[in-house]
Amino acid sequence: MPHPELLMLMLADARLPVAGHTQSGTLEGALANGLDPADVPAYLRSRLWGAIRVEAGTAVAARHAARGGADLAGVDRAWAARTVSPALRDAARLQGQALLRLAVRVWPGAVGALEVVTRPSRSTVLGTLAGHLDIGAASLARLVAYDDVQTVCAAALKLVPLDPVVVTGWVHDALDHVDDVVRAVADVQTPDEIPAVASPQIEAWAQAHAGSSRRLFRA
Amino acid sequence: MRTGMLTSTERLARTRIRVSRGDGLARCSVRSAVTLSDPTAASIRPMLVDHSRTGARVSLVPEGALLLAGDAIEIDVAVDAGARLDLIEPGGTVAFDMRGASASWSVLITLGPGATLTWAGEPFVVSAGGDVQRRTVARLAGGARLHLRESLVLGRYGELPGTVRQRTEVSVDRNPVLVEDLPLDPTTTPALLGGHRVVSSVLAVGGDGPADGPAEDRYDLDGGGTLWRRLGVHAHEAGLTAAWGAGS
Repeated sequence: MPHPELLMLMLADARLPVAGHTQSGTLEGALANGLDPADVPAYLRSRLWGAIRVEAGTAVAARHAARGGADLAGVDRAWAARTVSPALRDAARLQGQALLRLAVRVWPGAVGALEVVTRPSRSTVLGTLAGHLDIGAASLARLVAYDDVQTVCAAALKLVPLDPVVVTGWVHDALDHVDDVVRAVADVQTPDEIPAVASPQIEAWAQAHAGSSRRLFRA
Repeated sequence: MRTGMLTSTERLARTRIRVSRGDGLARCSVRSAVTLSDPTAASIRPMLVDHSRTGARVSLVPEGALLLAGDAIEIDVAVDAGARLDLIEPGGTVAFDMRGASASWSVLITLGPGATLTWAGEPFVVSAGGDVQRRTVARLAGGARLHLRESLVLGRYGELPGTVRQRTEVSVDRNPVLVEDLPLDPTTTPALLGGHRVVSSVLAVGGDGPADGPAEDRYDLDGGGTLWRRLGVHAHEAGLTAAWGAGS
């Protein structure tokens, strides 16, 4: 098995064929419904405060379940009960499918445990993979939160004329908040310990975006 | 995390309501009790408004000034198999400035097989300086139906938001359907509510699939049931009248 750090780099790489380029972290819906581009850094923090704690906590719980032979379906149900927006559930399940397809080829030993879950979310799949690949809980949480920051910022560059150097500064400035997420979820073990922070405004934007016919990003 | 331990500065008021179907043609039974940790505690008094063979309508009337620092309100509602309870509130609730202290508002709902509970909540206003732990736990048996209206207002007109941590847990046959925390304070409210100060919701759980009701503001839940939620600047903007009317 390659070094877990190398596997982390691989999973965090935007070139991984898991359809990451179809996602904006709801930024497209947010900008279309009134978010000022200058407020993208605050938007990143809102996500790290809310929905991303649910995602990172779900991944950590899935990792724990996968390593201990516990029920992954219960983890995925807990995630679904914490994700009220059908558009966001749908997007996460499509990403889960893409990651699963990759895993079947590259890490076939990791995916057996997921057979009990119908359409697992991306965080459930990612956490299961992390368990198999010996990636630690804190590293996994860091990966989920960091990936979200990069997803939003990469999408910002496609949606708004911005200087990539400035936007990379936004990524850097968000890293302290990424660490807050890690602290909040690294000790999660059971599904009921997964944070359940709602993000009503982002959920409303996600639903509005799903109903829009003119869009660059799926979600 | 609230543990249920009573601290020396807390005044606990527990309200229990239980509705069961009557035998044959008898009216349903409505039992209620209010217990106070000390005689000065403000409380919620259940007033029976209407009463039939299958169900009852009860108004939750505040007694004493609510909601002040140290108030611990607990409302325990049980509707037994096949019975129906409609809860109404005569007015909204205001949580006042607590000057560094806090209060709690905790609701436990238990619905038996085929039971129905509708609860027409009025606005819950958290003034600047207010600090409230608000918790709603609903446990439904199979075939039970819950229809719950809530409206949370962060700050009275022209003032900053108070602090409220609102926890909602709804399960059907022990499976989670909705688990949600809203940790709102002057810092997080602008981020989580996008500059709004009112969040209103109608939750409909029970039945086989998504609930009837309007398409706007609608979130069909993965485990069955539907949440309607609207953000607003003023309470009346976030009314969700159609969603409430569809199920009650």
